[in-house]
Amino acid sequence: MSSRTDNTVLNSAAWRISLWATLAFACGTMLVFVALHQFVAGDIQRRSDAWLSGEVEVLGDVAEHTPKNAVYDAVVGEVAELASKEVPNKLRTEGARNDSVFFLQTGTDGSLKLWVGEGAGELRLQAIQKVRILPDRPSDLHVEGVAIPFRVATMRTTDGSSIYLGLSERDELRVLGNLRARFILLWVLLVLLGFAIVFYTTWRMLSLVRQITEAASGIGHSDLTARVPTTQRNDEVGHLARTINKMLDRIESSMHQLHTITDALAHDLRSPLTAIRGKLEMSLSAAPNVEQTEPIVSAIEEVDRLTEFLNTSLDVAEAKADALRLSRSEIDLDELLRIMIDLYEPSMSDKGLSIEIKSGGPVRIDADAGLIHRMVANLFDNEIKHLPSGSRIAVGLLVDSPAALLTIEDDGPGFTDDVLPHLFERRVKGKESKGHGLGMAFVDAVTRAHWGTVEAENRVQGGARIVVTLPLAAPQRRK
Amino acid sequence: MRILLVEDEHDIRSFLLRSLEEAGYLVDAAPDGKAAEELAQENVYDALIVDLGLPDQDGFTLILRLRQIGVKAPVLILSARRSVDDRVRGLEQGGDDYLTKPFALAELLARLRNLLKRNSPSDGEASKLRVLDLELDLLRREARRAGQVLQLTQQEFVLLEFLCRSAGRVVTRSMILDKVWGMRIQPDTNVVDVHIYRLRGKVDGPGQLPLIRTLRGVGYVLKDR
Repeated sequence: MSSRTDNTVLNSAAWRISLWATLAFACGTMLVFVALHQFVAGDIQRRSDAWLSGEVEVLGDVAEHTPKNAVYDAVVGEVAELASKEVPNKLRTEGARNDSVFFLQTGTDGSLKLWVGEGAGELRLQAIQKVRILPDRPSDLHVEGVAIPFRVATMRTTDGSSIYLGLSERDELRVLGNLRARFILLWVLLVLLGFAIVFYTTWRMLSLVRQITEAASGIGHSDLTARVPTTQRNDEVGHLARTINKMLDRIESSMHQLHTITDALAHDLRSPLTAIRGKLEMSLSAAPNVEQTEPIVSAIEEVDRLTEFLNTSLDVAEAKADALRLSRSEIDLDELLRIMIDLYEPSMSDKGLSIEIKSGGPVRIDADAGLIHRMVANLFDNEIKHLPSGSRIAVGLLVDSPAALLTIEDDGPGFTDDVLPHLFERRVKGKESKGHGLGMAFVDAVTRAHWGTVEAENRVQGGARIVVTLPLAAPQRRK
Repeated sequence: MRILLVEDEHDIRSFLLRSLEEAGYLVDAAPDGKAAEELAQENVYDALIVDLGLPDQDGFTLILRLRQIGVKAPVLILSARRSVDDRVRGLEQGGDDYLTKPFALAELLARLRNLLKRNSPSDGEASKLRVLDLELDLLRREARRAGQVLQLTQQEFVLLEFLCRSAGRVVTRSMILDKVWGMRIQPDTNVVDVHIYRLRGKVDGPGQLPLIRTLRGVGYVLKDR
């Protein structure tokens, strides 16, 4: 059950729309963040570079103007220590020792003259000597053994020595890292929220479409009174529902028109037929001898045949337009067939035909019993009319859920090639057939009206086979 | 027995009038609903035959109005409409039986007789039927002709029972199909005739008076005298 729900969700348009919308939203917000990140990172860098340039100039000044005596190192060292206390972006202040800043002075020969900072100055010097650092242009310095690079500014004093001031990028990276972490958290939440909102709104919107589809598929062949649910909304879905209902109105009215026409036709033809038949019957009872009754009897038979033809052609016409009116009830097809075989067996054996039924017990269908009777009668009448003496007819009935499968096979000559492709069309009949040519069209009409099918073919071993499927009644289908 | 016939088509009305009178009924005929109402207020009828398509009003409406003014007689509806809905509606709205045009006179008379019988107190369901020297025991499902037990199948017994119940009157093929097999079909082939021939072979032995008569173009009749 739940997996089926999952499937409907995964297959729904709402899911796909939400996925694409969320993807677009996620990419957009990510781009905005990357731009923002670049801007913030650049700003932080500019600030630390400005500080470095300023401080290195001050230190250079101090170094130049301090006499090169015993206290030189102490004075310059002190100034460097002070400077390191004012580091920008500094997050950690605990402890007097500070590893985020170093100060380094080289002599004219490039040897290490003064070093203020954590660890050994030699390593920094080696690293500095590997990269050329230009004055007024702070640049990155990667030191062996230290994970985080330093930003280093330099200046050359008038006495030919160089002063380097390095600032660890650790704090800068931490600020950016924090920013990134928060943003990603926020981004994930936003994307999820966006997905939820888009999915909810499209799901609700499309659930209206689903309701319309369900209602529309429930509107049956003959029941056209139902309408799809409409909303007050003036959007596409509301329009769709109203348009479908208007279309159904039109279909219903043309269906009604068809019924009116067929009813009027039936009425206009039946009234004179009734009068003719009645008068014939009266003259039959008044006729004095057999010679005079014979033409009257055949006229009555012609009237009956005409009536049957009229009924059948109106039924076929309505069924072709999916407008055949059914009066459904649950019937047992097995029992119905046995009764009809019982009825037809004597006339079949009179013609030298044999009939047998193979059925596995009750087969319940929801159908118009009168129409099914007439359909089977048509099929049996056909067998009697077209089979040569000595033929066998086999009726088979089995449940092929969700349908009942009725087969009627014989070992006669089968359908001729000119008849078979058009068998279910109106007015199609064999050359020697005396019928009105509506029999198989009527069979087709009845099965269609019951949402079933009928197929005809010639068997490989000779003879004809007609296969009718009719949907089972709901309870039997569940079994 | 007095019958009110309401039918607008002149031809149908006149032949029905004659046939019903020949069958021994007293018949008043009305061409429209208004005349029918007037007649129904003046006289008491045992049964009504009403056509649904009247010029001044719908047959359904007429039946409702007749019921309202206290007409209790059974109504046989005649209709040229073809839908099953109309049949159901006719029977729901006070009609007692329904016949589609065109119909066989024999069927109309049979249905009318049924309606009249239904309305009069019946003398209880007999367990035996007797027509001349033919005797049917309905409980033991056994038929005898001149004391000799007939070897009938279940279906043949039901067919013979129907013929006996209508003894002396014509039954049509569609009446037999309806009452014995319970289906309204118009077979293209002689299915009913073959059943009757077989039954006749068993009922009318050699040298006996043939009881089952064929009236060509009309149906069959079981002789009762």
